[in-house]
Amino acid sequence: MRASFSAWSERQADRLFVLPAVVVILAFSIFPLLLSAYLSVSRFKLAAGGYEFKFIGWLNYKKLLFGSEQFHFVGRFASVPLWCWAALALLLYWVGRALLLYLRSGHTSVLGLVGRLISAVTILGIAFLFATTLGQGGQLGSAGVTILYVVVGVAIQFAIGLGLALLCAQRIHGRAFFRLVFFLPLMVTPVGIAYAFRMLADMTQGPLSPIWHGLGLGAFSWASGAWSARIVVMVGDAWQWIPFIFIVMLAAIESQSKEQLEAASIDGASFWQRFRDITWPEIAPVAATVILIRMIEAFKIIDLPNILTNGGPGIATESMTLHSFIAWRTLDLGGSSAVAYMLLFLSTVFSVSFFNLIILPMRARRQ
Amino acid sequence: MNAFKRMIWAGSLLAGGVLAAGGASAGEFDGVTINIMTFTGPQIAEPMQRRAPDFEKLTGAKVNIITVPFSDLYQKLLTDWAGGTNSIDAGVFAPQWMVDYVTPGLLEDISDRLANDKQAAQDDVAPFFREFSQKFNGKTYMITLDGDFQMVYYRTDVAEKLGKKPPKTLDDYLDFAKAANGQDWNGDGKPDYGSCISKKRNAQAYWAIISIAGGLIQTQGTSQGVFFDTKDMKPLVNNEAFATALKFYKDSTQYAPPDEINLDVGDTRKLFTSGQCALTLDWGDIGTLAIDPKESTVQDKVGAVVLPGSSKVLDRATGKLVACDAKTCPYAVDGVNHAPFAAFGGWSGGINAKADPKVKDAAYAFFSFMTGPKQSNEDVTIGRTGFNPYRLSQFQDMTLWKKAGMSEKAAKSYLGAIQDSLNSPNMVLDLRIPQNQKYEQVILDTAVARFLAGELSAEDTMKSIEDGWNETTDEIGRDEQLAAYKSTLGAQ
Amino acid sequence: MTIAIPATQAVARRKLGAMSPGTAIVVYTLLALWTLIVLFPLYWVAITSLKEPIDVSTGPYYLPFVDFQPSLHAWRYIFVDLANDTFRPYMNSVIVAFISTTLAMLAGSMAAYALARFTYKPKIGIILLFILLVALVVAAVMHWSVDWRIASASGLALFFLIGRAVAGRLRRSVGNSDILFWMISQRILPPVVAAIPIYVMFQRLGMLDTHPALILTYMTVNLPIVVWLMYDFFVGIPKDLEESAQLDGAGRFRIFFGIVLPLSKAGLAATSLLVLIMAWNEYLLALFLSTAHAQTIPLLVAAQNATRGPQWWYMSVLIIIMILPVMALALALQRFIASGLLLGAVKG
Repeated sequence: MRASFSAWSERQADRLFVLPAVVVILAFSIFPLLLSAYLSVSRFKLAAGGYEFKFIGWLNYKKLLFGSEQFHFVGRFASVPLWCWAALALLLYWVGRALLLYLRSGHTSVLGLVGRLISAVTILGIAFLFATTLGQGGQLGSAGVTILYVVVGVAIQFAIGLGLALLCAQRIHGRAFFRLVFFLPLMVTPVGIAYAFRMLADMTQGPLSPIWHGLGLGAFSWASGAWSARIVVMVGDAWQWIPFIFIVMLAAIESQSKEQLEAASIDGASFWQRFRDITWPEIAPVAATVILIRMIEAFKIIDLPNILTNGGPGIATESMTLHSFIAWRTLDLGGSSAVAYMLLFLSTVFSVSFFNLIILPMRARRQ
Repeated sequence: MNAFKRMIWAGSLLAGGVLAAGGASAGEFDGVTINIMTFTGPQIAEPMQRRAPDFEKLTGAKVNIITVPFSDLYQKLLTDWAGGTNSIDAGVFAPQWMVDYVTPGLLEDISDRLANDKQAAQDDVAPFFREFSQKFNGKTYMITLDGDFQMVYYRTDVAEKLGKKPPKTLDDYLDFAKAANGQDWNGDGKPDYGSCISKKRNAQAYWAIISIAGGLIQTQGTSQGVFFDTKDMKPLVNNEAFATALKFYKDSTQYAPPDEINLDVGDTRKLFTSGQCALTLDWGDIGTLAIDPKESTVQDKVGAVVLPGSSKVLDRATGKLVACDAKTCPYAVDGVNHAPFAAFGGWSGGINAKADPKVKDAAYAFFSFMTGPKQSNEDVTIGRTGFNPYRLSQFQDMTLWKKAGMSEKAAKSYLGAIQDSLNSPNMVLDLRIPQNQKYEQVILDTAVARFLAGELSAEDTMKSIEDGWNETTDEIGRDEQLAAYKSTLGAQ
Repeated sequence: MTIAIPATQAVARRKLGAMSPGTAIVVYTLLALWTLIVLFPLYWVAITSLKEPIDVSTGPYYLPFVDFQPSLHAWRYIFVDLANDTFRPYMNSVIVAFISTTLAMLAGSMAAYALARFTYKPKIGIILLFILLVALVVAAVMHWSVDWRIASASGLALFFLIGRAVAGRLRRSVGNSDILFWMISQRILPPVVAAIPIYVMFQRLGMLDTHPALILTYMTVNLPIVVWLMYDFFVGIPKDLEESAQLDGAGRFRIFFGIVLPLSKAGLAATSLLVLIMAWNEYLLALFLSTAHAQTIPLLVAAQNATRGPQWWYMSVLIIIMILPVMALALALQRFIASGLLLGAVKG
């Protein structure tokens, strides 16, 4: 009996090895995806003896995109200044040219074209979104705010993380110490970080309050300004995630071959020249992947805005996950799922485009 | 042996005067565990946690208090019960939410138990709580543990120095706040603020705006209602009265701490009791927090008044403000129409209908124990409990309050303001129609938060609330909601 | 701890890194500045946990004993007064984080190893059929209120009945790299999309607010990271050892558990630390899936924002006791984190 079992398991080894992973992922991704899709086209209602779902078509989405929730999700439109139109036109030209180049490149496929079209439309759509909501009288909705956290937030984190890695890669004393210390913030729960930054950012009783007073900002509060509140959220997020970028980039810099650097150094190349000509080309693919990973995680931000400001002032710091979560709190399951699905769409288009259009070509170029 | 010991124990407790609860006898609930959910304390949770060991000694039932952030409470409890998880046996929450719990049959009807319960001493409970707050469609589902009214608190010492009277109207309030703002009132060398009102989003701010608008909108008594027109469910939020309330709300920000928009009631209470604000608008908690020597630097410097009103009120036909006269404001005092707001309705206990019968009995016994005069009379005088007076005897018996450290004058002012609110024929009831959470905590709250942040003009704010409410009403069913609204108000 | 640098490299580095004093000042200043930025918030949390409420509300005070008298009241409250109400969530967190990490590591590295060593060719037809049937089951349960047990059973039966036929027709198949990409891409799925369905699923199974629900969810959420990181690690291990073991008659499972895993200690250590941190700090899914029994510690931290104002001192204590165990682990495993393991995966 025992022998036959082990013989059987040996024969089926290839299946048994992947089975647990495949089963849980199926249970927790395919099924939730489909169920969420259904919820997003239905309305939840408490009724005698429990609850019921009523099919309502795409009403939940319509509300978000064109209806009463438009301000919340998309934002409020303002008049677009002329230079914005010009920038948009330029972007359109650039995207169109890239598409054309792809069509002429000779290795065009239907899938590739469709994917690039989706990416192009999304990029243009987002550019248009920012152009129309950032102007005078306009306002960012939760979609815009989320993209802001992703694009601007991750850019800043990457710049600082890379900078720190470059510093640490120098011949310095106490590298192990710095490496450990710089890694610390990654271990703090985001909820804890949010509270810690609320304490730190308190302008009347926080540790920095003498500085604010010294600057004459005693009567100003970051929490009442849309942009200052967003900045505080991004600072908290950066504090936590810079370590991640730092640790990976440091490893990348350390693993590059030393001979070239040495030769360049002997030739009298400056630090900046060495970085630009030797280090950067070598670490660029790693950098791109790290950025991708961070972007994927950044789309999910909720803890920080939720605890720092509850999404306020107004809706200025509300991310899409928080938007969805607030809807869930009042049991608006349909609305909540619709927001979540829009988030899924955005983050998938972003990640897949980034992977296909930036990381893959980069790798292809190396080989 | 063990049971015997416990009986002796209970007996000695009885002799000592710590009364047995709800008719429960010693050891009756041995081995029973009650999971009770409420919001994160220390308020509300604290007194229950503190008294749970006594209750266990009395009856043998172990009480677990599970806390979640306030903004999650409604949904956590509802999904636990509606979803059939039933981890939670009872909850302490807002009676205002009762409708969403009663309709699917999630709350235990406790009419009979309460009627036959001497320990709970219901005759002593103020009629508003007994007859309205605890009940839904004529049946009792919850036990009030806390009385809730919003009021205005002012610093008596500041009023004296400035020569101001306690505010009667919204204009008085602003006038007082303006005069007091920027001066040092607690002697710490820093300028203090005129007014602190909690205005944080997703917190308690939406009650404040109704408190302010109430006196402008409701004039003809409680059954007129402040949220909707009882004829057609038309929201009463897009008119001159609500615009005036919004203007007041924003104007008061001028005399407030710079980060007022990010303060919830916890923050404003701390500011007020540490002497940094001259005025605030809050529930009854401030009165008792102010006498806590550990927290407060304003002992005996706090006065309370019923919510400020207005001498101009809404004419519902035109949407314009008209002057008060005998017809437009029948309940006006000195020409000022007041409409005290029973915001939230007071933390109350309700029992999961699907809990184990034995656990239900134990949960009931626990709530009965908590509301009993012996326990309640002590708890309502302690600031950190979050419990405010709701029993008639608590308003009459001054010794309670003196024992807790209040001066006679302060106690009279505090209790007077609550009683004025409680006895007002023009009291404003909180919204109790299905999904009132969505109307208030989402639509109203978001719009007002955006208004304060400067994202919306007053007109757009009102339009946005009106549209949002109409849309929700239509989604749920206008007739259904209208009927529910009228029945909660007792309107014809 | 020291980092072993091969001699030649060290020499090269010395030549390279000969910093002028000016550069050195700039570099060390910047490093010191960032150390301050990292440590100051943690320091502030630590001293806040020793402050009386009055010290916070009249602050800022910076130095214990110098400008305020430290007090252990918050620590007493958390450990003595709350005692069980602290330890219960804490133990929940420990149980959930450790078990889910172990399971994720196990399932994830098995899958990663398999994808690195075996060849898979699942037919596209089967996959499409599966998705279609799940969609049908969901629609049946939600829309036509069919009992979920009946719906799932019939779905499964149908799958096996017509699976073969469909596979015969749609012969195109996907390969290992597609499966790998699919697994990794699960990380893109925002938790909030899956949260409500997972909630509904566990509710139907009567598993809400239990440890297994959280463990399974965290395991799945973190599985993609494990597969991704470990895949690269396994690809990098030479096959010779395994092949000779195979010649000796060792089975696949014995090779994996007896040879491959011990060789991958560094990778396992670094990956599990990362996964553990993720599970330990997770907030949103715990908020959805737990109420009373399974409440985890991040929820407790979040809950300290009460109507009496945030209880900074209690919160700080909780944050500290949350960081300490992870920090201890990180110290112990620091060698592995620095080993450039992440790099291998990221290079792809």
